[in-house]
Amino acid sequence: MHRVGWFNERRSALAALSVLVLASCGGGSSDETGTAPPPVTQTTASAVGKAIFFDTSLSASGKQACGTCHVPTRAYTGDPTTDHGLPVPLGGPNMDQTGFRNAPSLVYASFTPPFSLTNGPTGGFFRDGRASSLATQAEQPFVTPFEMANQDAAEVVSRLLKSTATLQAFTAVYGEAVLDDPPAALEDMGLALAAYETEDPSFHPFSSKYDYWLQGQAQLTAQEQSGLDLFNNPVKGNCTACHPSQPQGYDSHALFTDFTYDNIGIPRNWQIPANTQDSVSPIDSAPLSTVITPVDVPNDAEYRYYDMGLCGPFKSATDDPDARVDLSQTTGMCGMFKVPTLRNIAITAPYFHNGNFQNLHQVLEWYVTRDINNNTANNPNPVAAGPGGNPYMAIGTFYLSATGTPDLDEYNDLPADYDANVNVGEVPYTPPTFGGGQAPTLTAQEIDDIVAFLCTLTDGFDPTSPSAYNVPAQCAPIASTSTTQGISR
Amino acid sequence: MKTAPRPLRYSARTAVLAALMSFGGTALADQTPSEQQQIEALRRQLEAVQSQLKDLANQNQRLLEREQALERQMAQSPTSPAPNSVPAGTAPAANPAAVVSNPVPAASNPVPPASTAPSTNPVPGGTLALTNAAAPFANGLKLWGYGEIYYTRPTRDEKEAQADLARAVFGIGYTFDSRTEFNSEFEVEHAVTSATDPGEFEVEQFYIDRELNQYVGLRAGLFLMPFGFLNEHHEPTNFYGVQRNFVETLIIPSTWREGGLNLHGDTGFGLGWNAGLTTGFDLSKWNFAPEFPLYTTALGLEDSDSAPLQTTHQELALANAQHLSQYIALSYYGIPGLTIGGAISTGDAVKVAAPPNVPIPGNERVTLWEGHVRWTPSKWDLSALYAKGSISNVTIANESNPGSPNPIPSQFYGYYVQSAYTLWDHNEYRLVPFARWEHYNMGSSYEGTTGPVVPTGLVPISANPGDYGYWPINHDRVWTVGANFYTTPHVVFKADYQWFEENSDFTRFDLGLGVAF
Repeated sequence: MHRVGWFNERRSALAALSVLVLASCGGGSSDETGTAPPPVTQTTASAVGKAIFFDTSLSASGKQACGTCHVPTRAYTGDPTTDHGLPVPLGGPNMDQTGFRNAPSLVYASFTPPFSLTNGPTGGFFRDGRASSLATQAEQPFVTPFEMANQDAAEVVSRLLKSTATLQAFTAVYGEAVLDDPPAALEDMGLALAAYETEDPSFHPFSSKYDYWLQGQAQLTAQEQSGLDLFNNPVKGNCTACHPSQPQGYDSHALFTDFTYDNIGIPRNWQIPANTQDSVSPIDSAPLSTVITPVDVPNDAEYRYYDMGLCGPFKSATDDPDARVDLSQTTGMCGMFKVPTLRNIAITAPYFHNGNFQNLHQVLEWYVTRDINNNTANNPNPVAAGPGGNPYMAIGTFYLSATGTPDLDEYNDLPADYDANVNVGEVPYTPPTFGGGQAPTLTAQEIDDIVAFLCTLTDGFDPTSPSAYNVPAQCAPIASTSTTQGISR
Repeated sequence: MKTAPRPLRYSARTAVLAALMSFGGTALADQTPSEQQQIEALRRQLEAVQSQLKDLANQNQRLLEREQALERQMAQSPTSPAPNSVPAGTAPAANPAAVVSNPVPAASNPVPPASTAPSTNPVPGGTLALTNAAAPFANGLKLWGYGEIYYTRPTRDEKEAQADLARAVFGIGYTFDSRTEFNSEFEVEHAVTSATDPGEFEVEQFYIDRELNQYVGLRAGLFLMPFGFLNEHHEPTNFYGVQRNFVETLIIPSTWREGGLNLHGDTGFGLGWNAGLTTGFDLSKWNFAPEFPLYTTALGLEDSDSAPLQTTHQELALANAQHLSQYIALSYYGIPGLTIGGAISTGDAVKVAAPPNVPIPGNERVTLWEGHVRWTPSKWDLSALYAKGSISNVTIANESNPGSPNPIPSQFYGYYVQSAYTLWDHNEYRLVPFARWEHYNMGSSYEGTTGPVVPTGLVPISANPGDYGYWPINHDRVWTVGANFYTTPHVVFKADYQWFEENSDFTRFDLGLGVAF
């Protein structure tokens, strides 16, 4: 059984109390007239949030809600099958505008700390930490042109007024008066969504096989156990360095992220329309109405548009009272994105902020060979595939130009001027400054083992019915090769 | 010299007066009034002289007791290079402006618990405070200090050579009365302390010591634990070698202090005892997942706080006090030149933080014990020490962190033997070569894991690209040879060479300067 935090319980209690107070205030006159008070729908901010979360009528297209891009069965990430196979969501008034980033999982998002630069960039919401809280983050998609595409808060409220069920839930908690102040009403909608994401158990189930293993109620296979060993081993996977398997003080559980930021030189994803030269909708070839002005891209940059995370192009909302400091001129942070949780990672493909990788095996192969055979600027002696050489992908598999040819000159999703920002000092990157051409830190078998372990981070394990564990497809082949001998903790 | 005379006891004074009165009263009955006045005056003078004689006898007795206490201290003083290396009350304050002189350096433990004789030694080490009628408050004030500077040069990796003002320590004490005193020490480590510098500023001691009666004293506050030779007597003049030995750094986590209270005393035949109730260790601070080696040099090993009890001691900094530890220490120094002692501490620790969402049944208990012996025949100074620690109930925590390069050990230990010889002794100059062999093992057994997963070969040892080295292992055998050269008992120049059998890259040459006053 998972544990709902004291904070969450307290918030629920406060929300419930506020409903009761509102109900008593509103019902006074009924008693005076001697008539029975109308039934009051007692709800909570969380319930309001849930109603809003799935209410597509609040978008300009009438087809998009939070839940469209954050699908519960996919750990609240997007569903590529409904996005025409794109790594980014579709949105806008006609659902033909494409977004810029792969939708992140919202599970465990409520544990994210506020943004801070004290010990290096940490925390904050969105992949670039530009929102100060879950609530201020939740407001933004309503008025983002390539998402729910309302012009402003007033348009959001006008749609809320037409959505009977959601409106009833909303006014039961927040009253009707606030509807006359659309920005305030949108703030309340954000608070309701934050309450939902904070309080609803589906956002923090801690029900993975790994969690049950910790409790002694499940066994890891030998391969999964080996994968965890490698995950923790500082010179093999070293995954735990940024995705700690130990609690970090944000919760009593390990969250598999330290909420820091890193620039790992991910290959450019040409499937993102904004990354291409023409920038038209892949749906109907309509011009993309939202083109991010590349004001912060160096003059000699190779491409017109880059997503550089902390330093832009996205900026904090002007009405975010605690927005983080603008980092657009802090070029040393260009290319840094927030480290995501690895919980449920097996069911949240594609991977990274640009969705460039389709499965975990690819991700790990890229990690351990990034500077061995994919970047001639950093490693002039790439290791050819084959016996005695690179055991993985051929040179240039991951870094490609727009035409699909190998692009080995630099980390190609960053302006070359910012290549030096890329983290090359930690395992599993294998810094070519040490001799160059050295072996990857993980063998093919070890990669399989780590993927097997990552699969155990998928929520929904039932210790009374282990065989019913809904392992994602990319785990299945690995599971079939693992030993049957279980390992108890 | 503080010589506040203690008044004659009422009973003694009365008896003297009564005797004089009775004798004189009958013999002088027939005298003239003037003669009687003269006799009365003489009698008063006699009384005064007798009273003064009593006071002087009393003072003499106290001085004798103090001298004996000092001798006992010197006899059992740990790696103190020789009796005359403890500058006990010999030199006045170097600064004549100082209102107080406290030339005894062992202020870190003004009254060694094992030899505590608080009734006769209310001021650290028999401090002689200057009389200053203009500042009576200052009569009880005590100031002292010590510090050391290192130069260390790994012979196989000279780019790691470092120089460090390792510590500068200032002590402040106050003697409230003959039975109550306060002592404190404040330490700056690594010269500069700020958010962006490596140094630390810390309170090393802060306690009140109260003599309850002739045999028992009570100490309360933050105090040094009476374990081994070094922990209480860690001034650089008190040990051989530029740096402290590894056993009394990695196994006994010198400088180990805890908050709490203790009772201590001296049996009078050379057996000191000390027993207390203190704060304990905090296993929730354990780092199972260091990304890089916690240390890559011998100096780093000593400074990294990576040893089992170094990384978990709390130092009374918002210390979790759910569980308290108990300890007892005994030391016998009744035979001149010989000290034999031992101590044990045990108590439940703050629970380990892993696994995250599953309470581990039971508590983890941390136990540490040690035994030590020192013999100083003639110019020789021979000593040996063994220390062993254990942490219970760590199986689940280690099982939950497979692949960890730093699991929690269930046992760890270390021992050393050391020999020193005063080769040259002229005036205050003294040259003392020494040799020490020690073995430490910070993880001699584990539960829930086979031990640390130690990477082999050259691996990244920092986030700096290309910074490769070897991941050290947590046990070693170390030879140290060198010499201490004292220009005065307060100032020592040191040099040594250390060979490491396992972590051979740690082998190093060291120079050091130490001062204590």
